[in-house]
Amino acid sequence: MREERQTSVAAGSSDGRAQGRPEGAGRSTGQGLRLRIAHLFPELLNLYGDGGNILTLVKRCQWRGITPEVMEVSYGERPSFSDVDLAFIGGGSDREQAIVCEQLLAVGDELRSFVEDDGVLLAVCGGYQLLGHSYLMGDRRLEGLSLVDLDTDRGDPRLIGNIEIESRIQDMPIVGYENHGGRTTLGPGVEPLGRVRHGHGNDGTSGMEGCLYRNVVGTYIHGPLLPKNPGVADWLIGRALRRRYGRAVELAPLDDAQERAANAVMCARMDAGEK
Amino acid sequence: MTARTSLARSCGLASSWVLRSVLHRSASTLPGRIALAIDPRLIGHLASACGRGSIAVCGTNGKTTTNNLLASALEQAGMRVLCNRAGANMATGVASALLPGGEADWGVFEVDELSTVQVLPDLRPRLLVLLNLFRDQLDRAGEIDRVQDVIVSALASTSDTVLLYNGDDPLCERVARRASRQGTETIPFGIDEDLGLPAERVRGGRFCQQCGAPLRYAWRQYGQLGGYSCPSCDFARPEPAFAARDVTITGDGVAFSAQRAGGSRGVRVSAGWGGAYMVYNLLAAWSASMLAGADVQAFQRAVDAYRPDNGRLQRFEVGGRRVTLNLAKNPTGFNQNIALLAASAAPKLVYIVINDDYNDGKDVSWLWDVDFERIVDDPTVKLCVVGGHRANDMQVRLKYAGVQADIVDGVAGALDRAASLPEDAEAYVLTNYSALWPARRELTELEAAR
Repeated sequence: MREERQTSVAAGSSDGRAQGRPEGAGRSTGQGLRLRIAHLFPELLNLYGDGGNILTLVKRCQWRGITPEVMEVSYGERPSFSDVDLAFIGGGSDREQAIVCEQLLAVGDELRSFVEDDGVLLAVCGGYQLLGHSYLMGDRRLEGLSLVDLDTDRGDPRLIGNIEIESRIQDMPIVGYENHGGRTTLGPGVEPLGRVRHGHGNDGTSGMEGCLYRNVVGTYIHGPLLPKNPGVADWLIGRALRRRYGRAVELAPLDDAQERAANAVMCARMDAGEK
Repeated sequence: MTARTSLARSCGLASSWVLRSVLHRSASTLPGRIALAIDPRLIGHLASACGRGSIAVCGTNGKTTTNNLLASALEQAGMRVLCNRAGANMATGVASALLPGGEADWGVFEVDELSTVQVLPDLRPRLLVLLNLFRDQLDRAGEIDRVQDVIVSALASTSDTVLLYNGDDPLCERVARRASRQGTETIPFGIDEDLGLPAERVRGGRFCQQCGAPLRYAWRQYGQLGGYSCPSCDFARPEPAFAARDVTITGDGVAFSAQRAGGSRGVRVSAGWGGAYMVYNLLAAWSASMLAGADVQAFQRAVDAYRPDNGRLQRFEVGGRRVTLNLAKNPTGFNQNIALLAASAAPKLVYIVINDDYNDGKDVSWLWDVDFERIVDDPTVKLCVVGGHRANDMQVRLKYAGVQADIVDGVAGALDRAASLPEDAEAYVLTNYSALWPARRELTELEAAR
């Protein structure tokens, strides 16, 4: 439907001409800047719509005149984080997750320096579990990346369903879907990403969900976390630009009416008691 | 038939009569549930009355179409068939379809993948047809590994069942290899050439389930289907026992030459509907009907007479405008639907309806695995609108694909938007599972009214 594009595409097309972007936005709002995104093992960790996170980051950069560059790290490649601003780890099945963990452990030191140097990292679902010291696969305890002080056990039943949490990094609740057997415990001093309003979160009992450590966001909210949570996407982009350019970059506001409506619909359903 | 089975059957049939004739409701599952509660072994007892045996059809996509085509082909060949045509595919649905009994030659039943383990031990089908395994409803079905485990253990319970499976799908090949080791006879079918379809944006890599190495593809049709082989072990696409060659896919339908290994020359099969995925459905149904003793003419007659009326590529005419309704419930199915849009030149309105009822899966994350970006590249699609309980999610998905889509109220609301399009514009209504029947009902009413 190419002819329709100019008139009907609300939020701008991939060339970066966005309706939501004010005219004459200068460098302080991000225009002309670059952002390098590493998508770690997309062919292994893409259980369910994880690519939606990369698409959201890319579009929200482009709509602001920021040039994103996505580097896909494939199985067998040894990723380097020296020129990476924002890395993403998705979720996979147990088998795929174990393969990825093995690959990442080989560059564990570099990944740890990236995180300690305030590199921005988003890890969802299985990827979140890899951040910790260890996790259980069946009855086997596997070594994690030890990027964040957390540990994951396995519990029964699986914790499945829509989830809504309150988090300081977004001005509206973060909503999504969780489906995990893991029970994650945060070490002392590790902040959760948010407090559970509906759903299960890290362990189904503590009321905590995910982790927030330096510029690392880990969460059990799986798959496409960012599309309905544009505030989280912009938090990640903002942090990554600040690190890359050594100064705060105020992001140009975008028209997020559709994203906010999709978020609000799910909040309303959960607030009304829907499981 | 034991007294218990007789009682179960009588109660089931009575409830069926009440549902249909008194309440005017569907009788596709409740009678079976009642009868199974009285006689848990009912399926086995009734299935043994099918003189030549049963055939079960499972797989993520294409079950209903393949199952119904197969049943029709056997009927065209003069055989009497019991079949769960409406698509109720758990044990209760199979039991409901068996209740009428009588002098049937074949029972032909689609069976939900996870229900195979309940149904197969009693049904003991002569043939299990496995069409494909795609990611679908992770929250309910679990990971694909689990679906594979279930099918393998279902086959272990019925040693005389032959597995007819899609050899182009490495996930089905893996099931076949495991089943074969436990003594199941396995027969692969496949498309013996590269269909040359456009590459999909989301191309999950496939890793050998035997040794973990990345699979190599000499050609790839869609999803993980194609000519694969493992560089480090013996895992590879098998030589198909039933093959499709010289495939043509156009806006008017599909045609191919079907050939049995070692048989004489190929037989032309053609259908006036469907895209690439329909070649697999037709080939599976053709292969199964040949194994069941139908003749090739009967099969083609069944295909010619087949009029989709179950929301799978079902056509309507509303106020002089052609409307096509189709089910699209997972990424692979959706991508195939989007490919179909480009197959005809007519300008189009596309209405996408997404629900998140239990039957759909409560999780709509999969929308981000669908190649909606292709709609932007399709010059025939003039307008997109969205609906359903997750209309907002769908709207956001399309926004990030570069498509502005308004939320509309039902099919009528969508068709109102078509007024601004050219006279010859068609409408496509793509829905996931629970949205299908309401859309079909609305279209049937609109067709009658306008």
